[in-house]
Amino acid sequence: MTKTLRDADEGLLREFAPQVLAALVRRYGTAQFHLCEDATQEALLAAAVAWPAGGLPDNPRGWLVTVASRKLTDQVRSEQARREREDRIAFATPQSELLAGPADESTAGAKDADDSLALLFGCCHPAVSVPSQIALTLRAIGGLSTAQIAAAFGVPEATMAQRISRAKQTLRDANVDFSLHGPVAERLPAVLHVLYLVFNEGYTASAGDAVTVPALSGEAIRLTRWLYRLLPGEPEVAGLLALMLLIDARRPARTQPDGSLVPLAEQDRSRWDRSRIDEGTVLITSALASGQVGPYQLQAAIAAVHDEAATMDDTDWKQILGLYDLLELAAPNPFTTLNRAVAVGMVQGPRAGLELLGTLAEDKRLAKHHRLFAAQGHLLELAGEQKRAAEAYAQAARLSTSIPERRYLAAQATRLREALSEEKRQPFAVNKVLTLSPTEMIPPVRMSARMPPRWMRSLMMPGRVSC
Amino acid sequence: MKYLMLIYGNEEKWASFPAEAWPEAIARQDAFNKKYEETGELIGAYGLGAEMQARLVRRGQDGLPAVTDGPYQETKEYIASFYLLDVENEERAHQIAADMPWADEEPVELWPILHDSKNDL
Repeated sequence: MTKTLRDADEGLLREFAPQVLAALVRRYGTAQFHLCEDATQEALLAAAVAWPAGGLPDNPRGWLVTVASRKLTDQVRSEQARREREDRIAFATPQSELLAGPADESTAGAKDADDSLALLFGCCHPAVSVPSQIALTLRAIGGLSTAQIAAAFGVPEATMAQRISRAKQTLRDANVDFSLHGPVAERLPAVLHVLYLVFNEGYTASAGDAVTVPALSGEAIRLTRWLYRLLPGEPEVAGLLALMLLIDARRPARTQPDGSLVPLAEQDRSRWDRSRIDEGTVLITSALASGQVGPYQLQAAIAAVHDEAATMDDTDWKQILGLYDLLELAAPNPFTTLNRAVAVGMVQGPRAGLELLGTLAEDKRLAKHHRLFAAQGHLLELAGEQKRAAEAYAQAARLSTSIPERRYLAAQATRLREALSEEKRQPFAVNKVLTLSPTEMIPPVRMSARMPPRWMRSLMMPGRVSC
Repeated sequence: MKYLMLIYGNEEKWASFPAEAWPEAIARQDAFNKKYEETGELIGAYGLGAEMQARLVRRGQDGLPAVTDGPYQETKEYIASFYLLDVENEERAHQIAADMPWADEEPVELWPILHDSKNDL
């Protein structure tokens, strides 16, 4: 068993991944990207063994570039020996260069930044499928090993290795050049999408051993932070980083010790990570001020409004609805409309929200999606239609493929059914309670003010409910 | 997203298959497996033994396994092989299932596999 680096050291080591890869690609050409990437990975693995034993080298980046170059030369030589008859490009690196510090050391900083960015764009090239873009980005830019990436996605290492090697082959066949040309803004959405997906994967996956199963949400934040340093003037990069921070801030409160899900309405907000909320809020505030509003900034703004509320009752639903209106204009998407319908339900009353949901049932992407039924269940309950709400929750539970979500949704259905059978035993008392808040009759503006008790109850876990 | 693909069959069905057709059939299935292993989408492909090799296992009173023959299935066909996929989306899973060698003659059963993710509700 080789000695592994402590978490902090491993993070430091992986910071070098894109720099080393950039230096290699610069030296050997973008056509050799696949070899440069393998060599960088091997150098990182070598460092993970050598550094804890021998201490951090004076020039860690130089150490890595030198070792990676040597690995690459070895690899090319053995390949050449095997394929003598093939007319392969020979590029023997002078021995002096391997022993001395890298030639480009002094000017490396700014060039590294540009070249690393170009590599990131290359990894997220549309010729490669999205799961492969993710895997390649995590390895080439994130510096994670194939084994770590495989563990994070719950697939065998061989499957992940195949995915990465296929992705590199595709980039080679498509002659993707790893240089920065054309406007960055056009190529940025694909990169942001990949980082967003990595974050979501990590936000959701169960925690494991940090060394063998890396925390992908942390990795996504690290990479987005890095991208933000490279492109501080791109408001959507700031928006995505803010969104990640503002959502990740809730992590300590979003699961119970047994792993079950705690919905937003029920989370202990004192456990939210204040520093993440502050950092995210500052980022999104200045990004919005730039005037180039985009979908990530709007989602971050929505997350910020939630995070600002001291309790669920204090949530400024009117502002959230306004932001969803803008988001729907900026990036029309049935899932945005779905979320907007919930906000409409909170501002204008559940009937208005349900009406909007009704228009979504025809959308193929949503017709059988658990989220549509979960939202329906929520709004039906607010409207006082407990029986239909229970049916909607039960249907949502059947359609969800996430185990914690399924359990949560099924528990909602059970809770409502139990409340209904209770009601049959004591018809008078419960009916009286129900008629106390005929939500449809409350003026829209006052909805959120009148909502709290019933709203809170609707999102409570069974066992803690006293209807 | 992970999916399970199931293929059903029975002794009668395999016996009706001419011996000379087997090599080609195996080659077709191998080609399918190789194709999707190489894309990094097929996690594994497994064929099951004969129905008579299947056993029912219970924990006996002494804590030891109590093994009996079976299952004696009501259905005429039983699971012959299964495949684990990890793909970008459901549409892709459909494409791969439809690419199974005999999907034009017999349907492939496709099940989503539950996962542990916890998106905000």
